[in-house]
Amino acid sequence: MSKSSKKMTLSRKHNLTGWVFLAPGALLILFMSFVPMVKALLLSFKTGVGAATTWCGISNYVRMFEDAVFIQSIKNTFFYLIIQVPIMLIFALILASILNNRNLRFKGIFRTMIFLPCATSLVAYAVIFRSLFANNGIINLVLVNLGILDQPYSFLTHATSARIVIIIALLWRWTGYNMVFYLSGLQNIEYSVYEAAKIDGANAVQTFFKITVPLLKPTILLTAIMSTNGTLQLFDESVNLTDGGPANASITMSHYIYNLSFKYVPNFGYAAAMSFLILILVAVLAFLQMKVGDKRD
Amino acid sequence: MKKKLLSLVLVGAMSTAMLAGCGNSSAPAADSQAPAADAQTPAADTQTPAADTSSSDNAAGGEQTLTVWCWDPAFNMNAMYEAEKVYQKDHPDFKLNVIETPWEDVQTKITTAATSGDLSTLPDILLMQDNAFQKNVISFPNAFVDLTGSGVNYSDFAAGKTAYSVIDGKNMGVPFDNGAVVGCYRSDILEQAGLTVDDFTDITWDQYIENGKKVLDATGKPLISMQAGECDLIMMMLQSAGSSLFNEDGTANIVNNDTLKIVMETYKALKDSGVLVEVNSWDEYVGSFISGDVAGTINGCWTMASIQTAEDQSGKWALTNMPSLVGATGATNYSNNGGSSWAVTANCQNTELAFDFLASTFAGSTELYDNILPSGALATWAPAGESDAYAVPNDFFGGDAVSAKIVEFSTKVPSNITGVYYYEARDAVATAITNYINGSDIATELDTAEKTVNFNMGK
Amino acid sequence: MYLFLCIVSFISVFPLYWMVCAATNKSADVVSGRLIPGTYFLENVKNLMANQNIGRALGNSFKYAIILTVISLLVSSLAGYGFEIYHDKAKDTVMNIILLAMMVPFVATLIPLFQMISTAGWLNTTIGFILPTISTPFLIMMFRQSARSFPHDIMEAARIDGLSEIRIFFQMFMPTMRSTYAAAMTITFMNAWNSYLWPKVIMTNSDSQTMPMVVANLTQGYVTDYGMLMLAVLICTLPTAIVFFCLQNAFAEGITGAVK
Repeated sequence: MSKSSKKMTLSRKHNLTGWVFLAPGALLILFMSFVPMVKALLLSFKTGVGAATTWCGISNYVRMFEDAVFIQSIKNTFFYLIIQVPIMLIFALILASILNNRNLRFKGIFRTMIFLPCATSLVAYAVIFRSLFANNGIINLVLVNLGILDQPYSFLTHATSARIVIIIALLWRWTGYNMVFYLSGLQNIEYSVYEAAKIDGANAVQTFFKITVPLLKPTILLTAIMSTNGTLQLFDESVNLTDGGPANASITMSHYIYNLSFKYVPNFGYAAAMSFLILILVAVLAFLQMKVGDKRD
Repeated sequence: MKKKLLSLVLVGAMSTAMLAGCGNSSAPAADSQAPAADAQTPAADTQTPAADTSSSDNAAGGEQTLTVWCWDPAFNMNAMYEAEKVYQKDHPDFKLNVIETPWEDVQTKITTAATSGDLSTLPDILLMQDNAFQKNVISFPNAFVDLTGSGVNYSDFAAGKTAYSVIDGKNMGVPFDNGAVVGCYRSDILEQAGLTVDDFTDITWDQYIENGKKVLDATGKPLISMQAGECDLIMMMLQSAGSSLFNEDGTANIVNNDTLKIVMETYKALKDSGVLVEVNSWDEYVGSFISGDVAGTINGCWTMASIQTAEDQSGKWALTNMPSLVGATGATNYSNNGGSSWAVTANCQNTELAFDFLASTFAGSTELYDNILPSGALATWAPAGESDAYAVPNDFFGGDAVSAKIVEFSTKVPSNITGVYYYEARDAVATAITNYINGSDIATELDTAEKTVNFNMGK
Repeated sequence: MYLFLCIVSFISVFPLYWMVCAATNKSADVVSGRLIPGTYFLENVKNLMANQNIGRALGNSFKYAIILTVISLLVSSLAGYGFEIYHDKAKDTVMNIILLAMMVPFVATLIPLFQMISTAGWLNTTIGFILPTISTPFLIMMFRQSARSFPHDIMEAARIDGLSEIRIFFQMFMPTMRSTYAAAMTITFMNAWNSYLWPKVIMTNSDSQTMPMVVANLTQGYVTDYGMLMLAVLICTLPTAIVFFCLQNAFAEGITGAVK
């Protein structure tokens, strides 16, 4: 009896310790994120130009579904999400498991080189990608010389190819970034497990699916949620590579929200309403991913 | 030891969190209720010492210092430094604090400050893109100061230029740089097709395309490149006939705008004939004429600064006016693209000083304009154009007195209506032209564009 | 396999090579697509020095990024640890709610946040820069996920030895999770270093400009000097690359013997 009550208090003590540990972080998020979010939520029920706003009920939320550009931006964003995120994560996983091999030489150099793209400043990356895919850029030069194309193709002024360029750019920039999480996650797996698998005659593919993927599940969930979130809020590539063009064919939701806030006559109420739609979309997707992936054994 | 340090940091972080909480939680409601009222009370009133140090020196009222935001060290920042020198001759105590702020940041900061009702972060004077002037003044009426009675003599400026910063009959800005459109051509490339720059002077777009085909046949080079998806050339053509995307009363003028239809057809004809080639980005655009892939360009006269970075092409360039539209009423060979004006913000504590400074420099000193001419800053202030400095021949452009020429162009530019929703309309038209070039029907596209603009205006 | 890695690395590194070339060439050559190193490097350095206060911007960027990284790692790892090790229903729910905080585009919360920071008088200050991003859902979740592999038996053993909970965190968890900390440090430093929208809103005087702001300054003129710009971009890229290079062994070479 007394023993069990002691255990109760101990677990209560641990429970409390947990709250104390997470308090600073949670409070900071409360004040630095949730307070502004509530204000933005209130704003999303207002309309007006600049600082002079009046209450308007849910009309902003109704309005966005009549907004052809916004609907186009939702379609574009989901196109990026569905194609780019899976490819990127799988590719990052493969790279991480190759680079986790202890017998590999020049690991450090390879790792750094593959990580470099995401360290590259956005300005340089945008200039470089635009010049690569320019009419007289290297890509066209190679394709024409190989006889694949008769004449240079204007990648960034055709809808589908502009979107594909954005996806390629995203893959280039973020694969190494995700690889970092997998590499660090792999360190928490005993290397002897791999050696044992090798002795048992498992090949690389089997090891990958039977050991790496299951054990990295928490990390994979993390990167999946982060990438989903990042893609639905995609901004840099749309602004800097294609400027949303041609004819809004590659514009993202965040890019349009930014335009509404800072380029056009500012309409922060409407922009806030769109932002909350993004919140809902990401939250639903993240919830689904958590349902599938967030289980403690 | 290390651990103690860590826990100290931790305590620090936690107390910061608390502080942040206390400081903020009470503020929101009051702020959002009365943004307009806040806007009236600048830096001096806020209980925030740190905020004051930002726009700093001006808070001290009597001090002879003005803070300025502008963005190009070689160009408008240089102009401000030169203006400071000119003004210091009579006012030895005067000082400028010029903060390099890219235009996009200026816009972001204006929007943030004015929307949150805390104007104390704004400088005394800032440079504003002409195209954004109407939008900002109408959206944030409390953020800028009326300059109508400031002592600036507006009749000395080109009317087309001043119009950008006149809102409700009030002068809200002091015009600065010239955006008159020039046609720049590589005379050595034209020569290979048996043409000279005279064949491009006072011509129509039809003649331009004819000439372009000759150049294309002789050299394989297009005459001009333009950035796809941006409608710079469209807007220039439109203004060259005095037409706008808006009516006087602020309603959109797209579907029933006959000039716009002619402009779009002309643009498509240019593209289809191969005389105009579309490129993907600004860098590629600049690259195309610097490296001689195209035989020239048509743009605001500030493009000359980019052209002149190709030092080895000195003497091979020639400058003239732009082609005119065929069949459009009021068609001319003159237009405008870009340019900016100075605005005084409501955060300025010493408006008299700001007024006097602007009136006696950018609106009153030929010396200033002479000094900044070498940097490529061409005046829109008429008396400056009469100065000898403007008649000096420019060797890069074949010994032509290009500065005087451009000032002359700028006086002939038809004025038009920018409109508050300028950027919305511009983007909508850019979409229309892209789709039209790809084979869509012009009437449908214009209809969609007008609907988009009306939607943005909340109609 | 080496061939595959070489191809991937080549594609990854190519733009950096391009950047280095561009930094040594004249602007006109960069625009016309010259792909070999030039001789204009010193000239670009001189121009950049004359044009921008690089030293001050680098100093600011380092100051903000280092302070933010240190505090952020501490606060977020503590929270992530708290969420996972002492997890129960309530904490899992709180974690899910916290995740919501990252799902709204920053543009939407920018104005209210600016209001708060400016009311508190923190414009142009380090605290104003770091406060909104000290604690991020992303880092908390990252530590929470990796705390899942922190063995419970070690904790029990430590508790029996009489170690307090906070000491378990500092003495057992932190060293064991070295690889997670190293990865988190790289990412946090990079994000802080490259952060642009927030500093551009709250930093209004020249003294607090950061490196990305300097790069932005260089792109805004009527004429862009691409040689000079790429040099600035190169300078702006190197610190993150170096941080990564130095830390990668910590997060990729594994932990020898810490967990048994």
